[in-house]
Amino acid sequence: MAPRDASVDHTATPEPVEKSLATIGTLRIGVKAFVEKDGEKRKAEILSIQSRKGQPSYYVHYEEFNKRLDEWVSASRLDLSQEVEWPQPEAPPKKSQKQTAPPKSATLPKSSVGQKRPRTSTTSRRDSETPELSSTTGNAQPKLTRPSLVGGKENNRPGSDQSISVIAPEITTDTPKPEDSDLDIADLQDAAAAAKAAGPTAKQGPYSREEEIEKLRTGGSMTQNQTEISRVRNLQRVQMGKHEMEPWYFSPYPQTFTEADMVYICEFCLSYYDSLKPFQRHRAKCTLLHPPGNEIYRDDYVSFFEIDGRRQRRWCRNLCLLSKLFLDHKTLYYDVDPFLFYCMTTRDDHGCHLVGYFSKEKESAEGYNVACILTLPQYQRMGFGKLLIAFSYELSKREGKLGSPEKPLSDLGLLGYRAYWAETVVDLLTEEGRGGEVSVEEIGSLSAMTTGDVLHTLQNLNMLRYSKGNHVIVLTDAVLHQQRKQREKEKIKGKRRVDPERLVWKPPVFSAGSRTWNW
Amino acid sequence: MTRSTVAASARFRQRKLTTKQALQILREDQIDSVDDEAQRNVPKVETGVEKGEEVEHHLQAALSASQAAAVGGKVAQIYIPTPDTIQSSLEYDRLYSLTFPKPATYIRFSSTVEDCCGCPYDMDDDDDLFLNSLNHRDASTQCSENHFEEVIHFLEETAQAKQPYAAVDNSPVLTYDTISDAFDESLDAPARSFTKEIYEHWKMRRLKEGNRSLTANLKLETGAETDESDPYVCFRRREVRQVRKTRGRDAHSAEKLKKLRKELEESRQIMALIRQREITKREQLAVERHLFEQRSSLRQVKLNLPEQYKEGDEDLLINQKPQKKKTQDPPAQRPSGTQLRMPQRPDGRFADADLVQLQDVLAENERQIKEEIENRIAQHKQRSEGYLDMTRAPLTPPMEESTGSSFRTAMTEYLPTPPASISSEHSGDVAAVSGSPGPIKDQAVAVRYASPSYDGPHGSQPSFRRRIGRGGRLMIDRRGMRVPGRDSPDATLLADRYRFDREEDDEDLATYQVDPYDIASMRYRARISGLHHTYQAQAAKRQQIEVSTTRGGLGEQHRPNAVRQSAPD
Repeated sequence: MAPRDASVDHTATPEPVEKSLATIGTLRIGVKAFVEKDGEKRKAEILSIQSRKGQPSYYVHYEEFNKRLDEWVSASRLDLSQEVEWPQPEAPPKKSQKQTAPPKSATLPKSSVGQKRPRTSTTSRRDSETPELSSTTGNAQPKLTRPSLVGGKENNRPGSDQSISVIAPEITTDTPKPEDSDLDIADLQDAAAAAKAAGPTAKQGPYSREEEIEKLRTGGSMTQNQTEISRVRNLQRVQMGKHEMEPWYFSPYPQTFTEADMVYICEFCLSYYDSLKPFQRHRAKCTLLHPPGNEIYRDDYVSFFEIDGRRQRRWCRNLCLLSKLFLDHKTLYYDVDPFLFYCMTTRDDHGCHLVGYFSKEKESAEGYNVACILTLPQYQRMGFGKLLIAFSYELSKREGKLGSPEKPLSDLGLLGYRAYWAETVVDLLTEEGRGGEVSVEEIGSLSAMTTGDVLHTLQNLNMLRYSKGNHVIVLTDAVLHQQRKQREKEKIKGKRRVDPERLVWKPPVFSAGSRTWNW
Repeated sequence: MTRSTVAASARFRQRKLTTKQALQILREDQIDSVDDEAQRNVPKVETGVEKGEEVEHHLQAALSASQAAAVGGKVAQIYIPTPDTIQSSLEYDRLYSLTFPKPATYIRFSSTVEDCCGCPYDMDDDDDLFLNSLNHRDASTQCSENHFEEVIHFLEETAQAKQPYAAVDNSPVLTYDTISDAFDESLDAPARSFTKEIYEHWKMRRLKEGNRSLTANLKLETGAETDESDPYVCFRRREVRQVRKTRGRDAHSAEKLKKLRKELEESRQIMALIRQREITKREQLAVERHLFEQRSSLRQVKLNLPEQYKEGDEDLLINQKPQKKKTQDPPAQRPSGTQLRMPQRPDGRFADADLVQLQDVLAENERQIKEEIENRIAQHKQRSEGYLDMTRAPLTPPMEESTGSSFRTAMTEYLPTPPASISSEHSGDVAAVSGSPGPIKDQAVAVRYASPSYDGPHGSQPSFRRRIGRGGRLMIDRRGMRVPGRDSPDATLLADRYRFDREEDDEDLATYQVDPYDIASMRYRARISGLHHTYQAQAAKRQQIEVSTTRGGLGEQHRPNAVRQSAPD
């Protein structure tokens, strides 16, 4: 407990944002300036500065844009006619970069109309909380120790229940008792990460204590790594199969790959090469034609392979490195052993081409049926994501369990899941022969969705109403219209669905030994 | 979603929604729109997206679009912008030249990436340049790319094994001598011939890299302090969950460890024994080989001495199995060893030629027992020479000592109930009786009285003897008079017996079964004249035969008997 106490700086107080005009020469990392983006000026934080051919180049993160849109810009796109925000000066120089700015009200987005969360304003509290959180971040970092999280989280979810106790005392007095008083120093890191993540959010404004805790529970860090490096995309371009794509996020490929113009990834074994010659040599030798596991599903469109992270460590590591390029919240902190990887492929004469995958804990304490889920960018917006999600629920049905994806979801993940949930729930409700009544639990057990997700969906679709003293489910015209439209689309394009008959799979059983002795 | 919940919840106190509660499914037109206002008290559900990202512009746009769609608005679907993907300019078909066989069944696969990728080192452009120049220098010996990679891989492996910390501790690049000491069979001959040149190239590259590995590796944990903050360090080992220590758990673990220890010890012993066995086997083979060589040299010697040579000497080369006695259990005998190879058992082990087999032992036992019995019987016969065993179940079958007995078998045909007058005349010999036809010869039917025995070889053959008793009494003993049960004459036997007991004129006459002991019938028989042959008499005769056969046996002469008995003398 001692290091934690020391690390939390109670005395920190918010500094007013320092704003002034800047020149090219005075710009440094952490500065927030307005940058031209698609014809408009957006505030962006400078995350990295490089000199390219004598010209400075800035890696910027646009506020309110996903990090995948972060990019290198030349000085000409910076608008230095407006004042820039300076990072907190008193913070230690190394930390100052990641120290997010103190609360500002100027950036409160106007676009948050659809925000579900009611924002009850408690401005005074907001001001007092954020800096504390920030200071926690700053001081905790140098003392980071290795977390001993046992659960095999693939997503970075630092906010365990334990971490609440780290932060909460500063917020209110009646802290919920942590379930386990054996606090690990490691939790501090989680807390720090969470606090860091909370930083930018804080300025969005007001939230209650519950929300704060919730934020710490689900609000992972911006990335899993504390250092600045990981905020900057490290690979330039990636070549895989017939496609070339731009990575979205940082991924811990070998450090030398940062310098490569193109990283070549073998489509079948997912090995990575920083130049063409070795890649060609590898291709001459590689005999793999499909993911190295057992095929558990096949229809005329796709095949699914089940791969055990423990048995196919190399391949699964390669897969994780690759998917990290496109998943912000994925962490590669720990090894792949406790996961199974379900890989979706399309077949042709060359082999089974990886289209997407989801990973799943062999044993999920929280009942998650998906840890990370990704459709490779070259196959996005083609309906594969829905198939992947459908397949994950098909596995849950076979297991006789309800499942839900591990949080946090990414923006694309949320949209994908919402679309699947909506379609599934509406289809269930309009099914032939369905009686006039159904409970949320029944919907859940029919679809292998958790009741939380069912409620989420019903609520989202504005279907859950209160009528004549009773809760009812309303199949709204909009929903039915949507379903009709979907059906028509399927008639034209053909419906892709997962056929349970073709799933040849029994839930794998792992002995206690295989879980305990990870190596 | 756009309505304020505050107002609604202030006005109504709603029942809490439970997940078990059955909810009515209604259409929009089925509900009262007034109630709609009050519907905002369902439990809040998290989006699951990180708060920091929930506010992101594009996500919000997409969410509000779908929100709008949910309440009936007409909105185009909004996509979150992502960086573009373009078609690669690389020639896919050349890079991915293998053809996927498309198996009909679901694929089962367990090979790893390492298994499928051949040599893990892939040469780069520098290597390519070097290799070209190397192959240019000497046109006669060409080093293939594969061999080159093998050598580099070997060098890398060796360096990794000998200097695991080369990247940190600035150790010098391994010398060629150290490397060449480590050569083993993992490098094949053609590759090995280039090691010297390739080593120089490799050394140069290593020096340039600061003696770091030439292949780009992931940063795995090193245990150093800096690991934590380094975003490139990945795939850390997971720590094992600390379980609370209790006495029970300790005991359990101790038990498990003991068991493990025991099992390991056992398997170790088994391995040691197997090793011992294999050594012995090897020695045995050596001995056998030696033996064979000795024999073949002996044979050679014999061949050189033609006068010594004889047919079948080739067999000397072979371990001849001791010839088993032909008498016992021939099928159990294995084919005699005509092959040099020892017979193989299904489990792959050699059958031991001298191994005692159970069936041999059993056969031997049986043979001994039989022999013993034979001996005893012979002894017994010897002892009881000249004696007649008259016990109820004689050990010596009476038939066998017929020579020594005074009984004579009655191999004769009798005239059934011969006429009284004749019987007195012909009472001399059985043979005489049968031989002398009586006056009623044409009517008399010869009944073969001593028909072949039915019930075993002994004691059923009728035989007779004459004895002179006290006061000169003449006594006729008979025996072997087999009698079927009176109540149940065997139908087939009867039929057989009477098969020829028939005349042409008999045909229309019925045969009556009469009790021979019936007073009336006896009286009737007594009445009829001996010279008058009537059918009745015939019938009675038949009855009598039957009767006589029901009696009989040794010492039963007092029974009424119509058959005349004559003793031979």
